[in-house]
Amino acid sequence: MTSGESITGGAPRTVRDIVCGFCGLGCDDLEVTVAGRAITPRTACPEAARLLARNDAPPPSPRINGAPSSFEEAAAAAAGHLKAARSAAFSGLGADLEGLRRLYDLAMASGASLDHAASGGLFANLERLARKGWIAATLAEVRNRCDVMVVFGDDPASAFSRFFSRAVPVRGEGADGDAAPLFVTAPGRRQIAVVGGPLSEASRRVLAAHQVTEVPVSEQDVATAASVLTALVAGRGVDGLTGLSDETVAALAALAEQIKAARYAVFTWNAASLPAEDAPVVAGAASEAVDVLSVTTRAAVFPLGGRDNVTGAHQLALWRFGYPLRTAVGAGTSRHVPELYSTAAALYDADLLLHTSAFRPDAPPDFDRGPVIAIAHPDTVFAREPEVFIPVGTPGVDYGGHVFRMDSVVCLPLQALRPAELPSVAEVAAAILVSFGRGA
Amino acid sequence: MRTRITGGRVFDPANKIIDQVRDILLEDGRVIADAPPVNGEQVVDASGTIVLAGGIDLHSHIAGGKVNLGRLLMNEDRALFPEPFGDFCGCGGGRAAPTTHATGCRYSQMGYTAVFEPAVVGANARHAHLEMADIPNIDTGGFLVLGNDDFLLRLIAQGEGQQAINDYVAWMLKATQCCAIKIVNPGGINAFKFNGRALDLDETGPFYGLTPRRVLNTLQRAVSELGVPHPIHLHGCNLGVPGNVKTTLATIGATEGFPLHLTHIQFHSYGTEGDRHFSSGSAEIAEAVNANPHISVDVGQIMFGQTVTASADLMSQYRNHNIADPKKWIGMDIEMDAACGVVPFNYRDTSFVNALQWAIGLELFLLIEDPWRVYLTTDHPNGGPFTSYPHLIRLLMDKPFRDDHLSRIHKAARAHTRLAEISREYTLEEIAVVTRAAPARTLGLKDRGHLGPGARADVVLYEEQADREAMFAAPRLVMKDGEVVVVNGEVVALTQGRTYAVHPPSDPLMDKRLERWFDEAVGLKASHYKIADGEIRDGQGPEIVELTP
Repeated sequence: MTSGESITGGAPRTVRDIVCGFCGLGCDDLEVTVAGRAITPRTACPEAARLLARNDAPPPSPRINGAPSSFEEAAAAAAGHLKAARSAAFSGLGADLEGLRRLYDLAMASGASLDHAASGGLFANLERLARKGWIAATLAEVRNRCDVMVVFGDDPASAFSRFFSRAVPVRGEGADGDAAPLFVTAPGRRQIAVVGGPLSEASRRVLAAHQVTEVPVSEQDVATAASVLTALVAGRGVDGLTGLSDETVAALAALAEQIKAARYAVFTWNAASLPAEDAPVVAGAASEAVDVLSVTTRAAVFPLGGRDNVTGAHQLALWRFGYPLRTAVGAGTSRHVPELYSTAAALYDADLLLHTSAFRPDAPPDFDRGPVIAIAHPDTVFAREPEVFIPVGTPGVDYGGHVFRMDSVVCLPLQALRPAELPSVAEVAAAILVSFGRGA
Repeated sequence: MRTRITGGRVFDPANKIIDQVRDILLEDGRVIADAPPVNGEQVVDASGTIVLAGGIDLHSHIAGGKVNLGRLLMNEDRALFPEPFGDFCGCGGGRAAPTTHATGCRYSQMGYTAVFEPAVVGANARHAHLEMADIPNIDTGGFLVLGNDDFLLRLIAQGEGQQAINDYVAWMLKATQCCAIKIVNPGGINAFKFNGRALDLDETGPFYGLTPRRVLNTLQRAVSELGVPHPIHLHGCNLGVPGNVKTTLATIGATEGFPLHLTHIQFHSYGTEGDRHFSSGSAEIAEAVNANPHISVDVGQIMFGQTVTASADLMSQYRNHNIADPKKWIGMDIEMDAACGVVPFNYRDTSFVNALQWAIGLELFLLIEDPWRVYLTTDHPNGGPFTSYPHLIRLLMDKPFRDDHLSRIHKAARAHTRLAEISREYTLEEIAVVTRAAPARTLGLKDRGHLGPGARADVVLYEEQADREAMFAAPRLVMKDGEVVVVNGEVVALTQGRTYAVHPPSDPLMDKRLERWFDEAVGLKASHYKIADGEIRDGQGPEIVELTP
């Protein structure tokens, strides 16, 4: 945890170079004004601004069955429910790595399945990554090397506001010698192709200096278009891959030629925003195009995702259990069965739900088969009052911690911006674990 | 409390104590000078055992992004080797790419107490440290991968002075909390990003126009002038390429008098003789190592069976990806720092190439004369999982056992190795050197690898047995910092280790330059790239290795 400037009260102060843990893009140049416990964003994308803004209101207290309780009582009540449960599902997992480590400790002690609220896109990509693999690039490589970028699906900026300005910046006239891109010839000019779209006006403005091609394709045709493009890059026929207009196929053929001429083509997509059955197809098509290109030139995939540290939850599960998320742990073993332990599937059989969402006020999924323990953002609105609600501070607002960026390589330090009045996820999970162990 | 380990045969080559029955006294986590017994001291009966310092593995890929990608690809291996049930089970497992908890327990069960991750990519260093903090019972440290990072290559290409290079290297070591510098395929990983497919020692790379030799020598000078104890830890050019023995010999001749560590040298000792154009270069390499006292090596022995190879050398891994077994692999270009390639391998004794690789590794172990300059590794998991060390030790110590295994490998490979003619058997003293004393010395860890006063109280008691594999697989007792963690090969306690780092000073002007570089080129703040001391092991901070300028 990095502790920046003093976080005690006093006159309003500006905090710069804040690391953001929300969408997964890992921007680290945000700026806010802090007055007491109130936070006013100054430089932040709309989503970060919404999630960083805080007023000075006192935080809620924990609740047991809707009645206010002390933190210790709530932790003990949660431990009591966990002890009585035979099949617990841990969902959400929106927490920093320190919180996740303690949550996983708790799952190992009590027995539980583990899944993250934003793991849908991750698992679509794992269909390709874990079974066949791919060649990927991290953000700085894309910034500096990518001369042709192919976006499959909707505008990445809809979920990752600053994606284009971070991934494909323009090297202006008289730029600093260090300015990205360092290795793209034709002074910073790149070709950006969107297969799907449309791009927002804001994205078009950000990309104005580049050569932008939009190949409009409806959401349900993106996977077909991706497969056609890969076939064209590979020099295969596309007769069997119909359903696209001649105009679209012609545009894809032209794009395939650009891609083949590229020095470092990058394929990107947000699996979470594609239809569930299509996302693995897109991941597969993009990876295969890279395989084909790599025989003679260089290319890489850059999958988008990573909301609320899902990448960290995945990495931690791998190094702790040797499996990705959607794994049940406990009694010394782990079972990785994605079809059984995705949150939606796990809740069919679970008799307890422990939901964690510290980054944003996302309510737990519907569940009526047993008690709900919510380790949640203080603003969470519950459709059904949880048996135990323990409000927690937000990583990167109330306390420091670590989160992974979407490229799964860079792990970033979050810092506290204001005095914490709520516990961290790590503190809550540790308290439940202590209580659980005491009575066991 | 004072503990007296008594009646064991002590092998402590660093202190020139070879096979002497003597007491070892421990107090407050350290070995203390022998003294008369006092009331209340705990006595450990070591009779019938060989007493050694804790084992040190200076090259084992145990943590970080590429290991996690290995875990992702090796789910079958993970399922086949779950951690044993019991009080010390961490719900993990795996043999080729074991989970953090399993890594600590399995090393500890063999008597190892320190393991070094030899390929930390700067951008992934924080991840590597978080994983290392999750590994129980062993101390750790990371070697920072440099030599393909764009900032460095540009500094060299622009003809900046050695002082700027040194400042940068010092800044990076501190920022990433690592304890040595590793170079992986100098300039080659970077060249591959520009679509270069091979880069030999004196070949000029793309864009920067630098030769690997120039990159190597510049960084050798930097670590030497900064006083980093471990010399450059080099994964050389042309890994795995038949004929690379020439490159390796040229590299040994290219050191300009600076010490150099050549890692997993087995993968760099291949000739092109014979009808299959693949032959052993071990005799030439061993001769060169024997003749050059400033060269040290670790072997990177291959062991037959399933494993996964994880390397920063994407150029080489791309070359090898077609022989992946099972058929899947992952590559990644990483953040202007380096890259990684993760390729599952199944080494088979029925394969001519694999069998000869096995023989070449053993030839190197046996032909290199000075055990102080050769360290026991399989380049885990690249040559084989670290859990095969007891088997490897027996291969080195037991000629009939070795010959028996030799008789089973691919027939043509047998004809291409002179292993049968080598009668050398490692002694217990030599095993103590290659697994303890020598790695501690090269890493600058003065209180490790020996049992003299002041040493860390990491002590291992191995039951004397003719079957050296059984002996080294399950020690009677392992103490970590004076605490018993393993009894009869079973984990009985978990303890937290420490992380070694070096913090050489750098000119504050380098901070300014790197702030701009990170802002403009990388798109990440330098201040967020840097790992604070308090981030290491939940606030414990790093254990700083003394510089030796």
